[in-house]
Amino acid sequence: MVGLSVGEKHFIQGGIAQDLRSDGRKRLTYRPIYVETGVIPQAHGSARVRLGATDVIASVKAELGKPSALQPDKGKIAIYVDCSPTAAPMFEGRGGEELSTELSVALQRCLLGGKSGAGAGIDPTSLVVVEGKVCWDLYIDGLVISSDGNLLDALAAAIKAALSNTGIPKVDVAAETTSDEQPEVNISDEEFLQFDTSGIPVIVTLTKVGRHYIVDATSEEESQMSSAVSISVNRKGHICGLTKRGGVGLDPSIILDMISVAKHVSEQLINKLDSEIAAAEASEEES
Amino acid sequence: MRGLKLPLSQTQRVRLQRAFEKLQSLSAKANSDASLTVADTIPVNYEDAFLKGHGTADLNGELVATVCGVVERVNNLVYVRALRARYKPEVGDVVVGRVVEVAQKRWRLEINFSQDAVLMLSSMNMPDGIQRRRTALDELNMRSIFEENDIVCAEVRNFQHDGSLQLQARSQKYGKLEKGQLLIIDPYLVKKSKQHFHHLEQFGVDLILGRNGYIWIGEHVEARDSMVIDQAKNIEQSTVVEGINQAYTPLEMRQNICRIANAIRVLTSLGFNVDLNLIMETVELSSSLKIDIHDMLGSEFHVLVAEMEAERRSLTTKRKR
Amino acid sequence: MAAKPGSAPVTYSPNLGQKTRPPIFKDNDLDWVRPDGRGFHQCRPAFFRTGAVNSASGSAYAELGSTKVIVSVFGPRESKKAMMYSDTGRLNCNVSYTTFATPVRGQGSDHKEFSSMLHKALEGAIMLETFPKTTVDVFALVLESGGSDLPVVISCASLALADAGIMMYDLVAAVSVSCLGKNLVIDPVLEEESYQDGSLMLTCMPSRYEVTQLTFTGEWSTPEINEAMQLCLDACNKLGKVMRTCLKEAASASQE
Repeated sequence: MVGLSVGEKHFIQGGIAQDLRSDGRKRLTYRPIYVETGVIPQAHGSARVRLGATDVIASVKAELGKPSALQPDKGKIAIYVDCSPTAAPMFEGRGGEELSTELSVALQRCLLGGKSGAGAGIDPTSLVVVEGKVCWDLYIDGLVISSDGNLLDALAAAIKAALSNTGIPKVDVAAETTSDEQPEVNISDEEFLQFDTSGIPVIVTLTKVGRHYIVDATSEEESQMSSAVSISVNRKGHICGLTKRGGVGLDPSIILDMISVAKHVSEQLINKLDSEIAAAEASEEES
Repeated sequence: MRGLKLPLSQTQRVRLQRAFEKLQSLSAKANSDASLTVADTIPVNYEDAFLKGHGTADLNGELVATVCGVVERVNNLVYVRALRARYKPEVGDVVVGRVVEVAQKRWRLEINFSQDAVLMLSSMNMPDGIQRRRTALDELNMRSIFEENDIVCAEVRNFQHDGSLQLQARSQKYGKLEKGQLLIIDPYLVKKSKQHFHHLEQFGVDLILGRNGYIWIGEHVEARDSMVIDQAKNIEQSTVVEGINQAYTPLEMRQNICRIANAIRVLTSLGFNVDLNLIMETVELSSSLKIDIHDMLGSEFHVLVAEMEAERRSLTTKRKR
Repeated sequence: MAAKPGSAPVTYSPNLGQKTRPPIFKDNDLDWVRPDGRGFHQCRPAFFRTGAVNSASGSAYAELGSTKVIVSVFGPRESKKAMMYSDTGRLNCNVSYTTFATPVRGQGSDHKEFSSMLHKALEGAIMLETFPKTTVDVFALVLESGGSDLPVVISCASLALADAGIMMYDLVAAVSVSCLGKNLVIDPVLEEESYQDGSLMLTCMPSRYEVTQLTFTGEWSTPEINEAMQLCLDACNKLGKVMRTCLKEAASASQE
């Protein structure tokens, strides 16, 4: 990350105060978002999302596994993010580890809901094939290809797109099995089931610079932030998760205000994203 | 169309392709066979004496390229000019750089060259404007002139024997750049011209096209050399932090700066050379069509600019004929 | 990839209405009691003690119910050469569990997620600019995990920092709330945490009324958020007072 001179910092802060950011955006305008689906044929579902110079890929792989003894009626979902050194030399070796874990944890918190599974974007009960015996384990992997700020929003969008692109093979279970035996399963390679992705939330990160907050900050703007709040909102307008970054404390009333702004912004973002995903799916089918 | 990542609709794609074809047909005669990829044989007349230049190598008696680029011939010298590479400085170039280190009697600047460039304290005009020997006190006060991360405009002075690069800033126009934004583009898009400093009077904006691909767009500053004032300002800024709020760039000027910056972003992503005329035409096109500043980065405007440029080039070639 | 030709995509229908409720929901909503007999909005009694470790610059021990945590602070010491120059201090946080902290014997390894959360919760309270080029290490060890581990670690760490004489804006008090069905349960124990539908953790500086860290999981509507945040802020305020008394006691004890 290149440092900025005092003059530039001041210019960026001034732009945010005057509601005209360096690339001509308003405080609550996103950069053009561009979605491509089905980019990784080996995965069950995948998507690539570009948000300005930020470029991320998400892939979804499903494997048959056994549900845990504590929660026999639920499949397992794991989310990991990898920051590739292709994005920036500083991600090499262990350099990207801290950011990777931070992003993974934030995504898990925002997408997987509470421990009981309530409020999850993906319903874990829909992954069960035979209760207590067989379920799908979903591995969601995010990859940061190029980073220009606002990685979390881009990753969440990519995961949403990848899941709506995911087809899980239909599984037929051999009917007669004794209760303690692992049932035999037959994975169909023709029939695929799709997820209901309407409940998957988007993440809106509000970055606070000076007295104002902005969405979709570039890395230059992120370097000026005092704190950032990532809020995940689903279509119903319910908050599905929230994480705060940056050290500076916030007044509780500001947080509540940010939540209501995020709700408002998320409506547009969800609609925009849905139409982009639909367009991407259409163009994929074409080719 | 390298690096052009835009969601295009069907019609936009067709229009863009047509514009690019037009552009290609106009320039095809000039250099279609001169461009090479790595390990391509360079056609030379082996009878004649020739000098192997940069980007070439000898392979079994044949001359091959070691970089992707365009073959250039100057008298007997044959060399390959790389298209996409880091900046290769030439003496006298105007460059914009970022201070990475304040060292003894010198600043180190990042200028997109393979090494950091050096700006000696002695090749600077002093704040008081008097020509004199630099004292130890001057050395101690170097941070008050340029700090780490400051953006500085300077001129390439010479190469040292060890290959390091020296800069100088011995004129009113060089010095620290404040109140504006820096754009970094591929250096090959900035062609050498007589004038790299532009004061766009109608906008009140300074535009500096650094040859190293660093472009500065900022508020116009009258006498750039008056570092005494700068210093005074610095002190003011550090003491009265709240006072900064009043000193923000006026909104109208900021709109102009952003519009120019986005014009350059569009031209760069289309791979056009960035020069003043083209920038101004793009800016005018956008404001005459009343395109919102942010929408300039959208697909539609890219297509419009490509069409405009194709049109303009075809007109100029016709005129030449 | 998703829609293979020749296959009509079928939508997975979520299985509703077969969620087996855990035994702590005895009958219906309001009748059940919490495992330790507290009211919904009643915190566990908090016990804090500073100076638990002799060799550290500052340390604290906290006990809330069966959650027992020890935090020691080392430094400020000079940052390692390998780190880049910075004009503010660095904060290095580490949270680990003992092998016997959990009911099932664990690995006793570092907890990366909690470490980064602890860092984020504390960095806003410490005046890092007062000790440039130096590092402060905060090591937290969870001796026994009894629920609400992270909030206890954070509160305890801020006490340890105060004990080490590190400049801070304010103490950091942390409280979490679990959402069980329609009820908000403050300061949940391990059992409640494992059945929660959603959770909220809030860390704040009580006397400045500033939130340093806030996390949500699960689905929340705006009125619920308002209620939960009010609850947490109030609890943080009271917890802050308890922490203050602990420091005062330690100070008066050392004066005598």
